[in-house]
Amino acid sequence: MKVLVTVKEVAEVEDDFEIDGTGVDDRYLEYDLNEWDDYAVEEAVQLQEAGDDIEVVSVTIGPERAEETIRMALAKGVDRAIRVWDDALDQDLLDTATKARVFRAVVEEEEPDLILTGVQAGDDAFGATGVALAESVGQEWAAVVNQLDIDHLLAENVARVHRELEGGVEELTDVELPAVLTIQTGINEPRYASLRGIRQAQSKEIAPKTLADLGLEAGDVESSLFLTEMYEPESESDATLFEGSAEETAAELASVLREKGVGAE
Amino acid sequence: MDYALSEEQRAVVEEVRRFAENEIAPLAAEYDREEKYPYEVMEKATEMGLPGAHFPVEYGGAGYSTLEMALITEELFAVDPGIGLCITSAGFGAEALLEFGTDEQKERFLPPITDGESVMGAAISEPQAGSDVTSIDTTAEKDGDEWVLNGNKMWITNGSVGDYFVVMCETDPEVDDRYAGFSQIVVEADRDGFSAEKITGKLGIRASDTAELLFDDVRVPEGNLVGQRGMGFLQLMQFFDETRTSVAAQAVGIAKGANERALSYAEEREQFGRSISDFQAIQHKLADMHTRTEAARQLTYKSAWSVDHAEDDLTALASMAKEFASRVATDCADEAVQIHGGAGYVDDFDVGRLYRDSKITQIYEGTTEVQKNIVARELLGKGT
Repeated sequence: MKVLVTVKEVAEVEDDFEIDGTGVDDRYLEYDLNEWDDYAVEEAVQLQEAGDDIEVVSVTIGPERAEETIRMALAKGVDRAIRVWDDALDQDLLDTATKARVFRAVVEEEEPDLILTGVQAGDDAFGATGVALAESVGQEWAAVVNQLDIDHLLAENVARVHRELEGGVEELTDVELPAVLTIQTGINEPRYASLRGIRQAQSKEIAPKTLADLGLEAGDVESSLFLTEMYEPESESDATLFEGSAEETAAELASVLREKGVGAE
Repeated sequence: MDYALSEEQRAVVEEVRRFAENEIAPLAAEYDREEKYPYEVMEKATEMGLPGAHFPVEYGGAGYSTLEMALITEELFAVDPGIGLCITSAGFGAEALLEFGTDEQKERFLPPITDGESVMGAAISEPQAGSDVTSIDTTAEKDGDEWVLNGNKMWITNGSVGDYFVVMCETDPEVDDRYAGFSQIVVEADRDGFSAEKITGKLGIRASDTAELLFDDVRVPEGNLVGQRGMGFLQLMQFFDETRTSVAAQAVGIAKGANERALSYAEEREQFGRSISDFQAIQHKLADMHTRTEAARQLTYKSAWSVDHAEDDLTALASMAKEFASRVATDCADEAVQIHGGAGYVDDFDVGRLYRDSKITQIYEGTTEVQKNIVARELLGKGT
């Protein structure tokens, strides 16, 4: 079995920052593995550890800098990685459809049985790459998966998943492989890369691929979305102070939360 | 000359720091206050492969060099020296086994450390023998195919939680040479006649276990002798460059931790209508702390790099690093408390703990005074 995990190096913004054009000034950014993808990687590695002969491959779209991040996934147990980059991909904003086209080309080459993506990326937060990819490669999908029955998947080739819906409701779904699952945080507890894993990761493959390598052209990655402006909205704060005993303040807090729509009835 | 860490080294630093912040920081104050050994953290540290990370891969380690161990130590100690020491000391004494032990001894004593099943220790100091190692009184006499040990050891890290110890003892008192006649023997904690008494009330590194060990006719098989009979002291001497470099790295970590906390508190704390970091008195403190820490770090890296690469005698360098870094650590921790003012004097903030923890780096693995003697001895050409 082969599992493909899409990962992204995301920019994290410092508390105080400045906007530069349509982005945040690079001086205030740090790059790290997207939080949701960390859970997707962990789920894939757990699957690999539970089964026999399961290969986990990670794929990312990103410049050379992203190798440091993707190597952390290799240190956690991913077998090998693919990094797609091309001058034509160096755009302000890669929209979801474009990313799905690039990943589709990788999927056609790798033919994985299961594709895991994070629910969303912490920076641009479209939350759509996984399902767009599923649509693009014509596979079934389940979004916002917060539980996966690994034994059932290995035995039956069916992903039995819990999906998180609004208001605390959970949906149980069976999805036949091949399929795409978008993984929600909390599905597992992502491990730390072990020191030995970090060492081994140095000799694992990160295959660089250009668009041409994937049979794509610059015209295939022309985004239809463009960033027009970036600004920081005025912030307002509205603080309510509860006074009284713990019981009283807890009850007041609960009623406020209920009014604001937190929790299912 | 290459002055940058490799991508792998940066990844190690980043991941160890993340581990320390998530798994150690929230518990540090509690374990310090209660002087208890952090079993739960040790379990997680084992999953990450931290204990015995310098052991060769065939014994469960990652085969990391002295420099990488210094990087790991620095990050752990920057977050909490007490728990950091528990993790980095799990394989204390293993150097002797790695260098002089038989394959059978390595197979028996090393993998349990990296598996997290066991913790070990090095038993050298005694009530009457601290810096003066050759004055130890613990004896081991040969009786048939066994060694019989008698005596007691003081200030032994992991003493009451350890499963076995590499014990320095006198085996050949009749030898004239003051450096000969000592041997290193492994003693398991479950042998009859062995007992350990935990030492409480330490000023700092209180999560780390320290004990007095008592040997009352403890019998171990002759196969527990490490290396050559009579060569124990000379075997031990070989690792001083390495262990002193490691204490230097601990000190750099403590200084780094103190500096980070001082900087962030100075930016946050307001007096006279502005952040105290606007005052030049505070700015100069911060500048000085960071500058001296960086100097200590570079000296420590150089010493670590030298242990790994250089063939010359690097004893002076290791002593310089240990002495200087430990002084910087105590000074930075002192200034960090000063910058925190009253808040630094209670245990709501970490700096008070770092201040207490820092002092040990000027004492163990050879005091500041001993290090200066060594540096001077090397300068004056009296080194051997």
